[in-house]
Amino acid sequence: MTTNDPYFIDFPGRIKSIQREMALDGVDVYLGSRLRTLSWTTDAFCPWRSYIVIPPEGLPTVFTFVIDAARVADESWLDFDHVLGFAPMGGQDQITAVSDLIKSYLKNGKGVVGVEAGMSNYLPEGNLTHYEYEAFSAALPGARLVNALDIIDRLSMIKDEGTINRFRKAGRMADAGHEAVLKAIQNGGFAKYTETEIAGIAALAMREAGSTWEWSFTGGNEIASGYRTGLMGGACTPPTDRRLRAGEPLMVDLHSTYRLGLGDHTHNYLLAPATERQLWHAKNFVDLVALCLDTYKPGITPSTLADKMMVFCEERGFAEFMVPGFEHGIGMLGDEWRIGRNDGPFPYWTNPDHVYQKNEMLICAIQYACPEENIGFRYENAILITEDGCETMSKFPLAIEVIE
Amino acid sequence: MPTIKYLSPEWTAEAEQRLRSQLTPDQMKNLTSSMLTVYTNCPDGKDRALYYKLENGIFTDISIREAPFPEAEFVISGDYETFAKISRAELGSRSALMSGRLRLQGNMVKALSLASIVDRFNKILSEIDCEY
Repeated sequence: MTTNDPYFIDFPGRIKSIQREMALDGVDVYLGSRLRTLSWTTDAFCPWRSYIVIPPEGLPTVFTFVIDAARVADESWLDFDHVLGFAPMGGQDQITAVSDLIKSYLKNGKGVVGVEAGMSNYLPEGNLTHYEYEAFSAALPGARLVNALDIIDRLSMIKDEGTINRFRKAGRMADAGHEAVLKAIQNGGFAKYTETEIAGIAALAMREAGSTWEWSFTGGNEIASGYRTGLMGGACTPPTDRRLRAGEPLMVDLHSTYRLGLGDHTHNYLLAPATERQLWHAKNFVDLVALCLDTYKPGITPSTLADKMMVFCEERGFAEFMVPGFEHGIGMLGDEWRIGRNDGPFPYWTNPDHVYQKNEMLICAIQYACPEENIGFRYENAILITEDGCETMSKFPLAIEVIE
Repeated sequence: MPTIKYLSPEWTAEAEQRLRSQLTPDQMKNLTSSMLTVYTNCPDGKDRALYYKLENGIFTDISIREAPFPEAEFVISGDYETFAKISRAELGSRSALMSGRLRLQGNMVKALSLASIVDRFNKILSEIDCEY
């Protein structure tokens, strides 16, 4: 990939920036293990337990399960000598192989090794486990292991042009999925399909558009219909074999992937006939999303935005149906939970007073649920904070259509 | 042929002759690499290593070394008795690696692609009639 490519990311530059921060923080060697760190540094999908060892200078080395190492090397900007496999063999198990390399970078085996040892409510986060921490400590007796994950988190917060363009492309792929779903369900077509089939229709269209994966760990393309749209909190709806029915809501939450950039967009429908009450709920939701998108800009914080939105919900009489949070974090694959850095009152959760800056990205995520009436809606869309507002990555028009 | 002592100069000469005569560069995939097999706790208490160097599929160096050992792309180390068992076909080399009795250093992905080649020349070495 050349520097003229719209999706170009300066990965060697990222490594150098990490090395500069390591020097400032007194870290001799960085041992990354989180999925978000591996994506951000390698440009390759690392689904198996993997590590990246970043020396004070020079190229990093990735370790992954040996059966996948050649594929990771093929996809990464790193060469085959810097993507190594580990396996349950003498000298090749992950603790031995990784610690042997770290030792080679430490003077007399002594120094500070930065590790990733936090917490997340995102299961595949990839923090070092207690066992790994103890095993690396034993294998590196002269080293001091310190939690250094903030280095990656602060560097990856502001997105570069290549990353933003990958998200734009992934957003358009999600749009292709939505167009295919809309076409399939129109004119009573919905009655032929189950939630899983809707997920598949979208997946095919997105793959045809070049998407490599329905990435979300929460169930790929999340499709919910009927009462399932209104489950309290309801922000996770892997599709079931439930058949779509007339008179019910339909929630279509699609996830596309382009070069580790993530598409994430939810669109909602009412399958005809729709009642006046359903239309009232729908209008509440669409108006709220429009207001929210109009509010995101540099300088605002999650808590001030939530306050504004909840005032609107209260005025319109639907606050009781709202989850009072309007976003989650997003970055290259594996970075899909916390906004910003780990600097809030609750460790490893979003800081409600985080101040958004230009070129940060997040998922505008809004959940509306009325379980008593078996109705709910979700909005998700990756957004870029711009100079004076925000840019949505998915362009599928905001609406809740009644599908005849 | 009189029995020769494992890892002795005579054994090394025999190994070199057999490897060069029985393995063509094609069979060695025209490989350029180096490998060090480190035997710890030899019968005389010393550690020794068998060093192989290949250039374009031709063995250019097969020699017994004592510490300090030369650098090599791949290093396999283990107890002398473990290697002796492998040579006597009492223990499989993969089993020795998987159980941790042998330790491999080097790029595992490359090592996997070379496993069949190593098997080929290990088979030839195991056919040398020797005493341990």
